[in-house]
Amino acid sequence: MQIGLGTYLALASVLFTIGAIGFLTRRNVLLQLMSIEIMLNSVNLTLVAFNRWSPGAPGEWMLQGQVLAFFVIAVAAAEAAVGLAIIISLFRLKNTVESDRADLLRH
Amino acid sequence: MMTESLMVVGPLLIVAVGGLAMMLVDAFSTQKAELSIVSAVILLGAAAMSLGLWFGGPEATAPGIIGSYLAYDGLAHFLDLVICGSTAVASLLAGGYLREHRIERGEYYVILLFSAFGAMALARAADIITLFIALETLSLGVYGLVAFRRASPRSAEAAVKYFLLGSFASAILLFGMALLYGATGLTNLQQMSVFIRNGAAPPALVFAGMLLTTVGMAFKVGAVPFHAWAPDAYQGAVTPATTYMAVVVKAAVFGAMIRLLVDALGDLSIANDSAGWPPALLGLSVITLVVGNVAALVQKDVKRMLAYSSISHAGFLLLGMVAAWKLGGGLGVRSVLFYLAGYAVSNLLAFGSLIAAGSYGKEATSYEDLAGLGRRHPWLAIPFSLGILSLMGFPPTAGFFAKYYVILAAVQGGGALLWVAVIAVLASAVGAYYYLRVLVYLFMKQPEKDAPVAVPMASGYVVAALVMAGYFVVRMGLTPGAYLALAADHSHHDANLDWTVFLIDAGVAVVGGAIAAAIHTMRRREQAGEAAPEVAG
Repeated sequence: MQIGLGTYLALASVLFTIGAIGFLTRRNVLLQLMSIEIMLNSVNLTLVAFNRWSPGAPGEWMLQGQVLAFFVIAVAAAEAAVGLAIIISLFRLKNTVESDRADLLRH
Repeated sequence: MMTESLMVVGPLLIVAVGGLAMMLVDAFSTQKAELSIVSAVILLGAAAMSLGLWFGGPEATAPGIIGSYLAYDGLAHFLDLVICGSTAVASLLAGGYLREHRIERGEYYVILLFSAFGAMALARAADIITLFIALETLSLGVYGLVAFRRASPRSAEAAVKYFLLGSFASAILLFGMALLYGATGLTNLQQMSVFIRNGAAPPALVFAGMLLTTVGMAFKVGAVPFHAWAPDAYQGAVTPATTYMAVVVKAAVFGAMIRLLVDALGDLSIANDSAGWPPALLGLSVITLVVGNVAALVQKDVKRMLAYSSISHAGFLLLGMVAAWKLGGGLGVRSVLFYLAGYAVSNLLAFGSLIAAGSYGKEATSYEDLAGLGRRHPWLAIPFSLGILSLMGFPPTAGFFAKYYVILAAVQGGGALLWVAVIAVLASAVGAYYYLRVLVYLFMKQPEKDAPVAVPMASGYVVAALVMAGYFVVRMGLTPGAYLALAADHSHHDANLDWTVFLIDAGVAVVGGAIAAAIHTMRRREQAGEAAPEVAG
């Protein structure tokens, strides 16, 4: 089997779907955060694969895709830092990280 | 050379450097610094500079290297003005609110400034890399502001919900942008639009990318059915953070939407009346208008009601967005920008009055808390009613002309837009019910016996903020023409526009706010002086 753009895109789509399903079905906030990280990493895979086999500008060694992937990694780290801080403050107050039990704000 | 080329992003630099400086001041100051007024001055300075750039900034000398990542056109300068001005007022509101409720810490203003920096960068993003980073800078700051009241479970809960759904939306948006990059091999939005117009991009990839980016953006502006986070986040956050969130996030994301959807993906081959994002956005607009207005009817909490009201306003803006595409800029983009400005000042006034209506120990949040306020404190009820009437779209306020121009643009667009415009008008008529309910409680009800009464706070900052926002609500309602001309799309500058009008307006608002705050403080001191002997005696 030839390993090319399609293979990477298929893997990335599978990862993205797994992440999205995980986010929507899990009720543990930490696992939801992990699902988001999986989605972001699938984006990175897509970006790097497209950069290698770009159908747009063939032959030109432009690196925007890889640069964006690095930014995504950095931003994902910042997001995890802020997210974990918020989750810790929720845990301190409510002793739980289940999003189902966060129900003070309904009407 | 260097200084000239950095001029075009001057407002951004002022806010970023100001934020860094405030971090240092906060870390090293031994006594409580007046950070809220400092951040307001920094932001007003940035706003003044963007007004200066609008009227003859050094556009010709701007270098390509900045220009390919950050746009410096009329759209960017106008949204800078809206974002900086609103954030300055929100920072004054925070100054009053946080001190009153004994939770003031310096980092609030630092996060506010950095988040506003992200908003300004987002509104002028000319490249998907900048767009993504700016969006995250904006969002991460807002997550922090929502979680600011650390001892409150509601605040933590609101922050978790907003954070999770916001990050999920970012991931979707990012995947969409990755697909657009894959389709074109480009990240620059303008080059992307040329590439797509030439028909060189695989349509399947472009459509998939367009779908995901539209969904991601719809999440961020709180369009139905992606609005689940909004009421909770608005209710749980401290009220000045809610104000900031309602106003600035929408302004910045709609600015980015104009650039990404209307400019980059607006070509007729991929976006037309039956395919692409315009019909999708129209559909979102209809359900957002209907659901937003109907859900607001049954709310008991005023902050939650204002959250649904802001959702319904997003519906109006989505309609304006499609009109902007249909009309190819011009009145369409103008109407969206004017709407953002009118919506900003009305919300600042309404939320500001809500902040002013409560004090330490008892915040005003429900309708009952407002009962009889108009009798007891007419001076507070006036700005409150004005803000609510402007949100409702009652003439002559900024909110009326905001709605008027969007509907005018939609009617000019014709076709399906006409029908959505009719729905928008009907939905606003339904919306009048819940806005008028606030006025009924303010002026015609009396509080229940033995119910705890919310006592209005006494804060010069909040008074100044209310005067500034109130001035523009009336000003943009009486003579909206100048502001509609200022809300120009991209390079459509009106060379005959008189800049002194705006300078005078800004001056009157700021000086008026300062005088009102001074009078308020003096009267409070007098009253305290009179009250003291009585207590002693």
